Amino acid sequence: MKWLLAALFLAGVALVVTGLPMGQPLPERAARFGGSLAVLPMTFTHQSHFGKPCATCHHEFVDRTAGPPCMACHVTDQKVAPLLEAQFHGLCQSCHIDEHAAGRPSGPTRRCIACHLDDHAF
Amino acid sequence: MALADPWRSGGLFWDFGNALGFLALAGLLFQMIPGPRGTPRPHELLGYWVLAIACLHAFWFLAGDAVARFYLLPGGPLHMWLGLAGLLLLAGLSILARMPDRRRLHPSYRGFRRLHRHLALACLAATLLHVLLSGFYLPLWWQAAAPVAIALACAFGRRIWPRASAVPVAAWLGAGGGAVAVFVLMREVMP
Repeated sequence: MKWLLAALFLAGVALVVTGLPMGQPLPERAARFGGSLAVLPMTFTHQSHFGKPCATCHHEFVDRTAGPPCMACHVTDQKVAPLLEAQFHGLCQSCHIDEHAAGRPSGPTRRCIACHLDDHAF
Repeated sequence: MALADPWRSGGLFWDFGNALGFLALAGLLFQMIPGPRGTPRPHELLGYWVLAIACLHAFWFLAGDAVARFYLLPGGPLHMWLGLAGLLLLAGLSILARMPDRRRLHPSYRGFRRLHRHLALACLAATLLHVLLSGFYLPLWWQAAAPVAIALACAFGRRIWPRASAVPVAAWLGAGGGAVAVFVLMREVMP
């Protein structure tokens, strides 16, 4: 029993430290989007989000802070960067969850690997 | 589980993995209810099953989603560390209570009972906080309050409760398997 649990624990540690040995892309935290903050890759297509009001995500259209692409500020601004995960999870997930609950095509709601993929166009 | 918002879904993979977690929590709550005297075996057996389901819950995410591991690395959110703490405490509860090791560690049965109970309370608290702070299936205050009330009743109501008959593992697994299926299907099929 204790050896089985020890083996399971070691397997869990190995999975956490090294990631899956095969079968899925293995995203890594790295400096992305022109900042030095180590973040996971993200994927997004405007194409699949047609029909949504632009200002839902593009706050610069409302508060007139137009400038560099979104992620440039979100990974470099010292006030905003620490909130990156909470803000983007809140924005993306809440909308996807509401869409799913309404019975409409929603895309991923919770599965991490569905969104954290390399997307050089993002 | 019936308290959870039935339309709130994380997708089939996520809902099934979390249904396993809720099943383990339900088993842990059952374990806190005093059983009939002189029959520790059903409690011990159910403990192993609860541990197995909790391990399955953790490995389901680690093995099925390559990004989930980042939540257990430094910088991961508190609720995930609490989940890991709950799992380790649960493993400790099972190992430290196993004969004959238990006798070697605890010559006094009273001492063993005290430690076992305190570890179990810590495990229940960590597990419950893991569920509540993750904030997905129980986002509203009243949804969070209900499992807390149930946990308090199971953990501290033992003096006023009659001793319940032991929960047969097969019954727990059967009812739990049905509940897992309902939990997943009502999120995936009904919307």
